[in-house]
Amino acid sequence: MRTHRCGRRRVVLAMLVTGGMLAASCRSGKSLTNAGIERKPAPTTAATVPVSTLPGETLPPGQTVPTIPPTAPPTTLPALLDTLPRCNTAALNSASAPVQITFWHGLANELGVELQTLTGQYNSSQTKVHVNLEFQGGYDQTIDKYLQSNSATRPDMVQMPEYMVQQMIDTKSIVPAQACAESSKYDLSPFLPQALGAYATQGVQWSMPFNMSVPVLFFLKARFAAAGLDPNSPPGTLEQLLAVGKQIVSSGASKYSISLDSDFDGGGGWYVEQWLAKGGEFYADNQNGRAAPATRVLYDGPAGVQLLTFLKSLVTDGGAVYVGDNASGTDTLLKLADATEPAAMTIATSASLGPILAFVRGGIIPGITEDQVGVGFMPGPGGGPGALVGGASLYVVAGKGDAKAAAAWDYIKFLESAQAQSDWAAATGYIPVRQDALSLDPIKSLYVSDPRFKVAYDQLLGSKDGPTSKGPVIGPLLQVRKVTAAAVATVLTGGDPQTALSAAARQADDLISNYLLQNP
Amino acid sequence: MKKRRWRDFGLAGLMLGPSAAVLSLFVIYPLVKAVWYGHQRCDASLSKCRTTSWHQYIDAFRSNEFQDSLIVTLKYALITVPIGLVLGISLAVLADKHIKGIGIFRTIFSSTVATSVAVASVMWFFLLNPSVGILADWLGGSAKTPGLLQKQGLALWAVSASSIWANLGFTFIVVTAGLQSVPKDLYESAYVDGANGWSRFTNVTLPMISPTLLFASVVLVTRAFQSFGEIDLLTAGGPKGETTTLTYLAYGQGLATSNDGGLRATVSVLLFFVLLILALVQFRGLEKRVHYGN
Repeated sequence: MRTHRCGRRRVVLAMLVTGGMLAASCRSGKSLTNAGIERKPAPTTAATVPVSTLPGETLPPGQTVPTIPPTAPPTTLPALLDTLPRCNTAALNSASAPVQITFWHGLANELGVELQTLTGQYNSSQTKVHVNLEFQGGYDQTIDKYLQSNSATRPDMVQMPEYMVQQMIDTKSIVPAQACAESSKYDLSPFLPQALGAYATQGVQWSMPFNMSVPVLFFLKARFAAAGLDPNSPPGTLEQLLAVGKQIVSSGASKYSISLDSDFDGGGGWYVEQWLAKGGEFYADNQNGRAAPATRVLYDGPAGVQLLTFLKSLVTDGGAVYVGDNASGTDTLLKLADATEPAAMTIATSASLGPILAFVRGGIIPGITEDQVGVGFMPGPGGGPGALVGGASLYVVAGKGDAKAAAAWDYIKFLESAQAQSDWAAATGYIPVRQDALSLDPIKSLYVSDPRFKVAYDQLLGSKDGPTSKGPVIGPLLQVRKVTAAAVATVLTGGDPQTALSAAARQADDLISNYLLQNP
Repeated sequence: MKKRRWRDFGLAGLMLGPSAAVLSLFVIYPLVKAVWYGHQRCDASLSKCRTTSWHQYIDAFRSNEFQDSLIVTLKYALITVPIGLVLGISLAVLADKHIKGIGIFRTIFSSTVATSVAVASVMWFFLLNPSVGILADWLGGSAKTPGLLQKQGLALWAVSASSIWANLGFTFIVVTAGLQSVPKDLYESAYVDGANGWSRFTNVTLPMISPTLLFASVVLVTRAFQSFGEIDLLTAGGPKGETTTLTYLAYGQGLATSNDGGLRATVSVLLFFVLLILALVQFRGLEKRVHYGN
């Protein structure tokens, strides 16, 4: 009579054990995104010195230099724009009633509120267009929802983060911004070339930069002073970062020197691209995918290994603390405010400057005042300014009719106007996308009264002109960043840089080749 | 004889035809199609697909995300099913009395069966909300900052609580029906033999309702493996994937599968096999122990 109860217990136990065994023995350590697309490992050749091809681009032995077909870009450039959806901006003039457009964006909290303010200004400033803002919950949700929509359910306009450029092009669902700019004879010359360049490939301007940011160094001046360091000269090179870190920790000014993360949109992915660019290295082949579609990543080369070896030494010798994947986006920053074991520095997007100052102003964190927060260039190989454009841009969606596209473009022109960019940058910490915004208040006076806001601008403007200072354009860049982030996490917790990067690069290459096969 | 069989065949075909057609169209065709998609990598709308290899199933099964989800799902089932069964049986036994007004209690206990997952989840979402939730207020601590649904290590328990509550009505009704089919003379003879309440329960009630319990546990386990609504509404798979069950992995947002219809199919088919194995284990393993009466 009692047997059935013991029996159930035994079965449950058996289930647990089998489940556990299956889970333990079967785990491959790879991401689900790589299921089914792993290629046969390339025949391993003896490690010799890699052949250098372009500045910063190295190839493993046995591979040929990718040659760009001589007939490809220049001659086909005008043709490409002609094959894309047109933009007839005059269609707005003939519309009788206000054109309603839907705009999907991923800006939360203070950023979202500021966008609402700007949009409200636009809606009340004219009668031809009415913009309906639809917050999607964040970039991730915007991406998912957009990619899962069809031409009927897509919005008329969408904001997408910078790593989505190639994928947006391949959805074949957008009206290139260039088509609208040409149709309306819009003057693009006041725009920062870096801002436009991030969203232009194959000679076509696909979208318009809107909220632009770069990673910068945040540090606490009092802890620098306590360590006997000059609070007005933050570390610029990686060597300085290590030395400063050692001094901060050994002097007891702070338990940790810098807080590091492995977020795909932070230390695990975005910063890796930044660091390679700062060192004059390519992240992917074919000039970061801008001369021809990228076929593989290059970060497992000597430069990448050197970089991650350095990051590892920063943790082991430089007093750095690794806070995990920083999914909330605030873990690295909050580590600076840690009551018992704080860090003195971190790297974060310049867009967080506004929110950080607002947070500190509230006086929640004892001992940290607004003036204490220092901002410097992101330390990197060689030091100095230079950064890749981050943030997001605005896309006009195709297939919605001329009037809607024209209306979306009219609204974009408003958001891109010098005044709107000045307001937007001052409220958030984003970098104005055009030069002439700097001569308008509020950003004009803010850059003078609080130079910390200008650091990001100077860093971006200081980028050396060259092919490596334009970020990678890779279809599955988001997924590539995620496998890269896993490698960074492995290294920061003690893994071997070369092993981790090689494994990640192989997975990234599989993702790229799968994408290229899917999107011929 | 032979002729007759053929005539029967035609008649059988005619009678089975409609349901066979419906079944093929809505069950078999999608299943075959899902298995086929499962060895392809696609875009979000399944318009750009590329056949990889059947190895995709093995890769997916061994991937970090799938293995993590499998463990989460097993944990979820191990939390919800035993607790749900014990609570359901307790309530049913309590309400299995012929006293005045018991109908009211039976109605209350079974009411959750009429509550949809969405309604139940939204209700729990507000109960557990750190700033306005009354449960969060009572519990304090982690329930206030950052909130049970956001707290690593507790989110799965919070979702389980909602799920247990939502399934309680079902368990209650099924067990009550089981209890009412137990012949009263068994209790009487046990009583005459001097058995007390607890031993009457363990020696008469439980064995007699064991078929019902088997049914209830199979349904509850299947529900645990298929639960999507609670996860989607309460935690969206978070924090840090701690509530990403297999179903959520196959269908949720912001995951490795989100924009690849092929991978979604792969995960779904794998989930199908996991459930198949589980059902076999349950029936083979438990059926022998179940007392169907003499």
